[in-house]
Amino acid sequence: MQMRIAIDTGGTFTDIVYLNEGKLAVLKVFSTPADPGKAVMDGLAQLKPSGDVVVRHGTTVATNAMLERKGARVAFVTTKGFEDTIAIGRQARPKLYDWFQPVPECLVPAELRFGVAERVGAGGELLRGVGEEDLQRVCAAIAASGVDAVAVSLLFSFANSENEAKVAAALRALGLPLSVSHRILPEFREYERASTVVANAYVGPKVGSYIATLANSVARAYPKGRLEVMQSSGGIISARIAAEEPVRTMLSGPAGGVIGAYKLARLAGFDRIIGFDMGGTSTDVCLVDASTGGPRISNESMITGIPVGVPMLDIHTAGAGGGSIAQFDAGGLLHVGPESAGSDPGPICFGRGTKPTVTDANLVLGRLDTNRFLGGTVSLDQERAASWMDKAKVSLASVEEFATGILRVIETSMEKAIRVISVERGYDPRDFTLVAFGGGGPLHACALARALQVPRVLVPALPGALSAVGILLADTVREYSRTVMRAADADLEEVFVAMEEQGHAEFRMDGLEGVAFRSVDLRYAGQGYELNLPYDAETVNAFHALHKRRYGFANEQRAVEIVNVRVRLVAAAEPFEPVRESVVEGDGAAALVGTRAVYFDGVELETRLYERAALHAGDTFAGPAIISEYSSATILPPGDVVRVDALGNLVIEVHG
Amino acid sequence: MTEAAQNAIELAIFQSSVHSIAEEMGAALRRTAISPNIKERRDYSCALFDRQQRVIAMGDHMPVHLGSMQLSVEAAVARLALKDGDIAILNDPYAGGTHLPDITMVLPIFVEGEGAPSFYAATRAHHADVGGMFAGSMGTAREICQEGIRIPPVHLMHEGEMNQAVLDLILHNVRTPEEREGDLSAQIGSCRVGERRMKELVAKHGLTKLTTLSTELLAYSERLMRAELRKLPAGTFAAEDFMDSDGITDEPIRIAVAIALDPESGAASIDFRGTSPQVAGSINAVYAITYSACFYVFRCLLSDEAPATAGLMQPIAVTAPAGSFVNAQMPAAVAGGNVEASQRIVDVLLRALSKAAPQRVPAASYGTMSNLTIGGLDTRVGRPFTYYETTAGGMGARPGLDGISGIHCHMTNSLNTPIEALEYAYPFRVRSYAYRSGSGGAGEFVGGDGLVREIELLDDAQVTLLADRRRFHPYGLAGGAGGAVGATQLEHADGSVETLAGKCSIHAKRGDVVRLETPGGGGWGVPSARAKSTAR
Repeated sequence: MQMRIAIDTGGTFTDIVYLNEGKLAVLKVFSTPADPGKAVMDGLAQLKPSGDVVVRHGTTVATNAMLERKGARVAFVTTKGFEDTIAIGRQARPKLYDWFQPVPECLVPAELRFGVAERVGAGGELLRGVGEEDLQRVCAAIAASGVDAVAVSLLFSFANSENEAKVAAALRALGLPLSVSHRILPEFREYERASTVVANAYVGPKVGSYIATLANSVARAYPKGRLEVMQSSGGIISARIAAEEPVRTMLSGPAGGVIGAYKLARLAGFDRIIGFDMGGTSTDVCLVDASTGGPRISNESMITGIPVGVPMLDIHTAGAGGGSIAQFDAGGLLHVGPESAGSDPGPICFGRGTKPTVTDANLVLGRLDTNRFLGGTVSLDQERAASWMDKAKVSLASVEEFATGILRVIETSMEKAIRVISVERGYDPRDFTLVAFGGGGPLHACALARALQVPRVLVPALPGALSAVGILLADTVREYSRTVMRAADADLEEVFVAMEEQGHAEFRMDGLEGVAFRSVDLRYAGQGYELNLPYDAETVNAFHALHKRRYGFANEQRAVEIVNVRVRLVAAAEPFEPVRESVVEGDGAAALVGTRAVYFDGVELETRLYERAALHAGDTFAGPAIISEYSSATILPPGDVVRVDALGNLVIEVHG
Repeated sequence: MTEAAQNAIELAIFQSSVHSIAEEMGAALRRTAISPNIKERRDYSCALFDRQQRVIAMGDHMPVHLGSMQLSVEAAVARLALKDGDIAILNDPYAGGTHLPDITMVLPIFVEGEGAPSFYAATRAHHADVGGMFAGSMGTAREICQEGIRIPPVHLMHEGEMNQAVLDLILHNVRTPEEREGDLSAQIGSCRVGERRMKELVAKHGLTKLTTLSTELLAYSERLMRAELRKLPAGTFAAEDFMDSDGITDEPIRIAVAIALDPESGAASIDFRGTSPQVAGSINAVYAITYSACFYVFRCLLSDEAPATAGLMQPIAVTAPAGSFVNAQMPAAVAGGNVEASQRIVDVLLRALSKAAPQRVPAASYGTMSNLTIGGLDTRVGRPFTYYETTAGGMGARPGLDGISGIHCHMTNSLNTPIEALEYAYPFRVRSYAYRSGSGGAGEFVGGDGLVREIELLDDAQVTLLADRRRFHPYGLAGGAGGAVGATQLEHADGSVETLAGKCSIHAKRGDVVRLETPGGGGWGVPSARAKSTAR
């Protein structure tokens, strides 16, 4: 029998989620940042699974290599005359008004950028072939440079890959890991494509050896076992592909969170959600609408300032977390974040920091348990927080007033982030359910919902391990794309068939059968942005309609062109039919463990404290209340009403 | 809550809310506009104003619009009696505008029971064509009437109804009316977003409280700026710099400034007396541009989070003599004032400030947007085309940091067009796009390098260049060398090479290659100091 286990590496814990008699179960072990695979194997050892073990992994190795700029030394090969394009980028500066912004460091230093005299035209015509002598010169120079990996991206390689394939073949002889643009991202816009290929080469050696080692460990421990990896688009890929195309794993964990939030919300009966994941230094928000095809995919993501064009879930990050620092500026205005105390020195209440943070504010207002933070790994020092906050409060009357202000300001930042993914993209938050997870999500969700007029908050079961839940429930997916730049009525059958054949062949290597979904990116001729739509007889009409809905106008007279064709090959995960508890109307009294004074909007209220694990389906009660669980707590403000559903979710009706 | 808390917290939330409204207006505009100039290059701005037409929030959009938007709102209010449901439109540089392609709309926000507008929402967008003698409306004209249609403040919407006569008049005077109509609709939509969201805020907090908070926000911004000005030394600091020419005569154009700093009261006055008179060519700056450049420079002295409100300029007085190059009067042509003069005004201001606070000011950046327009018939498809793009250069070195190479600085931040997108859209083949090695000025900290771009024309075409810094180098500071000046060549198919002037319009042949080299940034500190530090 097959046993699927999802393991997601986090900053403090590595979460292991699996199905136990139809129910999601979680095991948390401490993460081992020096070798994240150790925690994975530790967790497996504790779980003692049997049968054909399939380990599905959410990894941070690629992201961390980018964040810490500790990737490989990469050589970049492109068309002669364009070696610097990888550094020039889009010629815009990240900060408008900062004369002292740092000089951006290109992932490839100037001396490792190489040009090959060759050229393909926009129509795919070969204008100049690759010269043998020129190629040998470049190969020799790269061999002598001592790099760890090579990235190749020639102009218009997606339109005609002949030159690029020839260059790649010659470079292969060097025995170095090789990332080639027409294989990784055969799409136009040379900078974004090259940047994606370079990022792949940059994280490649690290991720490759990590995955290989972990896959070996899994195979040793479970002879019939195998390793799979979550990719940024929300689909699973095999360990083999993850090692070859690690650029697809940049948002491995966060993608799990989105899929987990979406799948659990749908099971609870909610099809349109805003995911709200608040952690220590930042908040990730996303919007998923089942009526418009589920999770939104972006092909224009930036990872640590570097464009990465492979499909990723559209996740927006704001610099607002538990560790965000509060301080007054020279004009007397209170700022909270984006500067964060991180885990070192951390918030004041962790024992070392001296600058007030959001976590300190939550603590002094009575909203946190002093002994359960991060699953009890950190004990919080309330007196220390109050004393330093008293010194920092300037002219404010009390620490509580200061703390209330900090929360209001940080909640305004989070509100802004949600507006970006909803209102600014043409969605009305009032039509959505806010799904709160991460350590801090449930603390702030109701206040945020009220500000955005979101009628309902859902705190799913296991909010602290939702990424692993999503990874467990995700489909296996492989995405292929190619820029064709053709008229809307062009015959694309051949292009689609070629991509599908490639996909089926790759799936078969991993023993999988998949269903292919065709789509195209269209635009009015001359526009700069494309819209993605399923490919069928109605595509062009659907394009006009979507353009009208999203941008407010359409022009059926205007020529439409197909920029990219896409194939998404999906092997669906086994359906998850969770066990539903029988619903018995109750008031949650059995889970009531005490009361405490808590501040709500500056007013101190005696607040009931509940233990989530002791609640039952059908329990319904109103705030003010705090519902605590391992590694998180839900704040229920006065007036809001929570009900526990048959799946163990907290469903909160928010009253405006 | 105490009054102090009111100030620190309510204000923080209010500031964040109004800024988010301005950003949302920008997102709506970008989403619904048609032309690449708005969607891709993002040449637009959105802002909110209080009842006295003082800017209280501006999105992080185009620096060249900082400050000058307020003059548009003031002009609209002065000329028109705006009622609920009205929208004013204008682009006249001599009545609240900057240059003709920038069309501004102003919407008065009426709160129920109030006789006068309580707030204003405004959007400005650079339109790809507003008529005139050159496609793109950015050519080498000699008077404003050649540059396109002039729109004084007039009603585009009247109590909720479109003023069709005005719209028709505008659309009949531009080359691409369909695109213009789409972009204008997008601007109306964007203003409405501002109106709706401000009304939501009023419903939530009440008008009295919002009015108080608006005034508080301006006072807070003023405190921020005064606190900063108190850190600068007392005295008057003067500087000058030159533009090569106006493209018609070879006469250099002098821009002179004296910045008087008064740390005691936290104030500054900026005086451009001594600047050359306005010129015949199209690069004159109207006062709005000069004011924006001053706003930009002093705003950069503050931290990144400082809100761009009218309060920041409260302690700062700007004097620009009427009829001078920095306060041009009718009928001067001004299309290039926005893109070229604005950058030089910043250079001059920075040079003066560097004498007051040498450790806080970068050396001169590339100082010209190298506006390149190429138009002709694309024989691949049998249709006319017009290509317009600006090319970045080197950033000036900073005390403690090298300059950045190939990046847009100061008054613009527009993106480049990808080479592959360019070759799909136009009959061009790009031959190279690279850093212009060694063009950054030497110094302890070196200036950023400029860029080189070579475009081969696959069809005959008209090539128009509006560029500067061909004679006067971007200056270095504290002993650093100047950045290299820019250059443009036309290489003919037979191998002969023709040097092009910074401002010119020529007929080029199929097979010709335009080679554009943009200036580098100035260096900072004596070069020998760098040599020593590398030797160590």
